Amino acid sequence: MAICSAHTTTISLRSPCTTTVSNAAAGLVQKQVIFLTSINRRSGSRRRGGGVSRTLLQVSCSADGNKPVVIGLAADSGCGKSTFMRRLTSVFGGAAEPPRGGNPDSNTLISDTTTVICLDDYHSLDRTGRKEKGVTALDPRANNFDLMYEQVKAIKQGQAVQKPIYNHVTGLLDPPELITPPKIFVIEGLHPMFDERVRDLLDFSIYLDISDEVKFAWKIQRDMAERGHSLESIKASIEARKPDFDAYIDPQKQYADAVIEVLPTQLIPDDDEGKVLRVKLIMKEGVDKFNPVYLFDEGSTISWVPCGRKLTCSYPGIKFAYGPDIYFGNEVSVLEMDGQFDRLDELIYVESHLSNLSTKFYGEVTQQMLKHADFPGSNNGTGLFQTIVGLKIRDLYEQIVAERAGAPVEAAKV
Amino acid sequence: MAISVTAVAALPAFSAQRSLPQPSRQRVVAFIVVRPVRAHRRFVGVAASSPPTPPDLAKKVSESIKQAQETCADDPVSGECVAAWDEVEELSAAASHLRDRQKGADPLEEYCKDNPETDECRTYED
Repeated sequence: MAICSAHTTTISLRSPCTTTVSNAAAGLVQKQVIFLTSINRRSGSRRRGGGVSRTLLQVSCSADGNKPVVIGLAADSGCGKSTFMRRLTSVFGGAAEPPRGGNPDSNTLISDTTTVICLDDYHSLDRTGRKEKGVTALDPRANNFDLMYEQVKAIKQGQAVQKPIYNHVTGLLDPPELITPPKIFVIEGLHPMFDERVRDLLDFSIYLDISDEVKFAWKIQRDMAERGHSLESIKASIEARKPDFDAYIDPQKQYADAVIEVLPTQLIPDDDEGKVLRVKLIMKEGVDKFNPVYLFDEGSTISWVPCGRKLTCSYPGIKFAYGPDIYFGNEVSVLEMDGQFDRLDELIYVESHLSNLSTKFYGEVTQQMLKHADFPGSNNGTGLFQTIVGLKIRDLYEQIVAERAGAPVEAAKV
Repeated sequence: MAISVTAVAALPAFSAQRSLPQPSRQRVVAFIVVRPVRAHRRFVGVAASSPPTPPDLAKKVSESIKQAQETCADDPVSGECVAAWDEVEELSAAASHLRDRQKGADPLEEYCKDNPETDECRTYED
């Protein structure tokens, strides 16, 4: 059984043309573009050719077993979602780019295997509407969860959708864009786990939990170059949005399969620079097709300072920790890194002590990190754990595909 | 016609065994990419380390900050005040994303994506 959706567009042409059918298998989605030509010869017209109306019928079909794997990524704005998306799509191969020939203000990113959509596109109130009602984009009342659910469900079932576009520059909703089902479909934004119906569609979910101190430091870094911004304005913006963030965004972390928590370092007493970070990767136990990463010995509680002959560390050094914990009533494994790498190529030493990484070959984590050394967080736990989560998602995807094909596979345990 | 020669070093090849890599085991593979470069006025330019925000958006950001400060002068906990600062955040994030896009965009690379057959874009691997 195949699930199909059709989209028709009528184009007026000056001359008659023949019916053509082209077949293209794009990943898991089979598309048929059929040109239906009807020629209307106007009576009494002196022109040789009458007006021609050409209807473009695009049918997107997905075989019953081949449906996208859906990933949810939740975080506040300015918390590194874009960087994470670049790392994730890189793990699957190819850089994600805005749709070619589409709206230049589209928030969607597309690569060979992955489509990333921004959930801001489901704002039900534009910027003026939110101002009038006195609500923020964080408020559920400013978002259309019914449409979000319907469209994510349709994509998961292998159907194409016409998704709205929220224009962040103008603050208006632009005409919709066609989204066809990819192999991996990522929904990123403020509310991917807020609505229970949408949450149930996710095959894996991640929450980026940035502490207030780090968020402030990152936003200073981002905004201070901007005319009109000051420390006061940055602080005021964070504080004004905080009640809504605490009420509607932060509670989603209890539903996440993996949480990347970014905190100030504990290696420097009373650090107020925020350059050195302590990062935790909190991995829920018992998640289908997801084996948490561990350091040295699974289930043990470990503290490890790897600095010495094998790893170059300048002040304040590097410290790893690992162990079991309880997080919102769920059993979790927590991997922690405090400090930063001086030399990325030496990360191989750390990688060799981590297990369940789901790498394809020895050194793949290090290779991915070196490949994107210019990305923010590449010398600390944010980049390392984002890369690891990307590899785990690839492994999860491969297991789901194998299972659908009727050949269950053991999770990779490199 | 000028020729630009770029040496590209591959990553260290890691041993398949689970032992620590030793310097003697690492090999650096280098290959040469020769690209004919024709003087083309369109592509002359220096990329800034962080490109400026487009003027119209920069103006929107600064105006939104002023407006938020004015709105919040009367009632700092009102819905209008919160929505005004949310607008500041949205525009600041949009400006940051635009700067990032510009930073990553190499005009020659963009041109070559669409015109790979032109002289400027031909590559030779040896």
